[in-house]
Amino acid sequence: MSLAPKLAFRNLFQDRLRLIATVVGIGFSMVLVTIQMGLYVSFEKMVTVMIDHASADLWIVPRGSKSFEDPSLLDEQERFRALSISGVLEAVPLVVGFARWRAPSGATSPIFIVGADGREDGLKPWNLVEGNFESLAIPGAVAIDQSYFDRLETSRIGESAEINDRRVEVLETTRGIRSFTTMPYVFVSPDLARSLTDTPPNKASYFIVHLAPGVNAADIRDQLRARLVNADVLTPDEFGRRSKKFWVSGTGAGAALLMGSVLALIVGTVIVAQTLYSSTKDHLHEFATLRAIGSPGGYIIKVIIIQALISAVIGFCLAAGIGWTVVWATAETALPVIMTPAITLILLLLTILMSVLSAILAIMKVMRIDPVMVFTR
Amino acid sequence: MTGTVLEAIDIGKYLGIGAGKFQALNAVNLAIAGGELTLLMGPSGSGKTTLLSILGCMLTPSSGAVRIHGLSTAGRKPEELAKLRRDHIGFVFQSYHLFPTLTVIDNVRIALDIRGESSEQSTKKATEVLAIVGLANKTGSYPRELSGGEQQRVAIARAIVGDPSVILADEPTAALDAENGRAVMSVLAQIAKDPARGVLVVTHDPRIVEFADRIVSIEDGCIISDSRPVGSEDVALQA
Repeated sequence: MSLAPKLAFRNLFQDRLRLIATVVGIGFSMVLVTIQMGLYVSFEKMVTVMIDHASADLWIVPRGSKSFEDPSLLDEQERFRALSISGVLEAVPLVVGFARWRAPSGATSPIFIVGADGREDGLKPWNLVEGNFESLAIPGAVAIDQSYFDRLETSRIGESAEINDRRVEVLETTRGIRSFTTMPYVFVSPDLARSLTDTPPNKASYFIVHLAPGVNAADIRDQLRARLVNADVLTPDEFGRRSKKFWVSGTGAGAALLMGSVLALIVGTVIVAQTLYSSTKDHLHEFATLRAIGSPGGYIIKVIIIQALISAVIGFCLAAGIGWTVVWATAETALPVIMTPAITLILLLLTILMSVLSAILAIMKVMRIDPVMVFTR
Repeated sequence: MTGTVLEAIDIGKYLGIGAGKFQALNAVNLAIAGGELTLLMGPSGSGKTTLLSILGCMLTPSSGAVRIHGLSTAGRKPEELAKLRRDHIGFVFQSYHLFPTLTVIDNVRIALDIRGESSEQSTKKATEVLAIVGLANKTGSYPRELSGGEQQRVAIARAIVGDPSVILADEPTAALDAENGRAVMSVLAQIAKDPARGVLVVTHDPRIVEFADRIVSIEDGCIISDSRPVGSEDVALQA
């Protein structure tokens, strides 16, 4: 084996305090990146959670609607126009809107009502923990997510509350249906949703379109766009992208999370650069000796890069460990941090990139060494 | 003695800038032949180290030329000069300049590692040269565990392991007591017996004169004498 890795390893481990400082620096800057990225991914997923879980081939949404949580009303005429197109099997009305939850204690909380009828071709609660899908048909029945038990002051099925002054009963509970806004989703029957949101019987927030097997969704979408005058027709991907664009880019929330990641990367880069530079300065005579005995510049660069990589890998392991702990700890909260294998790989690559970039200063320093210095010491 | 392995031709060197500029070397001519140990002696500030740095391709002369193994150093880029050093020159420094975090054998191997030699080959050669300098039983030790003389012998092993045509040693005994100094010089003298290899030792230590085949004296940047001690093959003086 080449001695370059050994030399790099020994150089690093010779000063353990400095190594610990480096690794902790890398680790915590990467933890920050991990959390920011995890929140960003979580945010992106949550923005489209309803769109992703609806069994729609196409969405008919009010013209200019920016996201699922930006409801206005569509006329039922649009539904009939859609149904008149060959290839459209069904256009299921969906009623959503804002409401106010009042717990038995009198505490109130804004909520987002989703009118679902439990049909397979609509949008029904998923990840059911207690109750059954059909129970939403019972007058006054609601389904809420476990992560909002505290907020809604509810902890099990059978408990009562009020929505917009109307008595409701929790008959279903779910796990992991969370909103990125501060408003919990509350599933109710379509009729109750209409009643709670004052939506007339001939109106709906969205129509979930189901197509006949084998038809081309893009063709039908184009036909619907030509036919429907006051609505936008979108594929689930298009609706998802539109929602993400609005919430992630339009509101600045995504930019803030990304900026946090960039700042963490910069901090990490500076920490590693500073440590590598000072380590290189400490070993300057050794590098000068290498240069004096004829070492190619590439060999010395290799030693420094390996030092950076060793720091990166140790720092990454620390960050990944803490990151996974944060993922575990936030899994059941309203804003979970998500870490996928792809994110983990990206973080590893970012850590390596950060560390290698950090080595540039040290490399510049060492490449300017005058080997003559070996005669003067 | 065989052919010239290292040659300085009319070397001049100015150091410093502005009012502090001075001529460190003036028209220096020196040829190091294989098979002999040459001492370059002179007082502090006489230009010994400057000349050694130029001969070792670490400093560019202001005028004149250097030839190593017949190859001119003129116009070469730093990477090319580094290659000349690793292929043809072995260095022994006053302060040893060993790598404190590497074992003795790795300190020697590194001279071959930078050439890209395999681990097996470099280990074999390093083991052989460590035996030559009398440190076969210290291969796994770290420099801090060795005496000054032993450390210098490791440095000599590192210098010769690549089989260079010339060894340049800068005050190799300056940091050693008489006994260790003699031991180090004995090793260098032994190495200089190889007709394919010349050894140039810069020193102001009169105790080591007895090991020299040739003594070159330098003062104020000029070579003032070039002689062979009585008892060596031939005696020649050049003033």
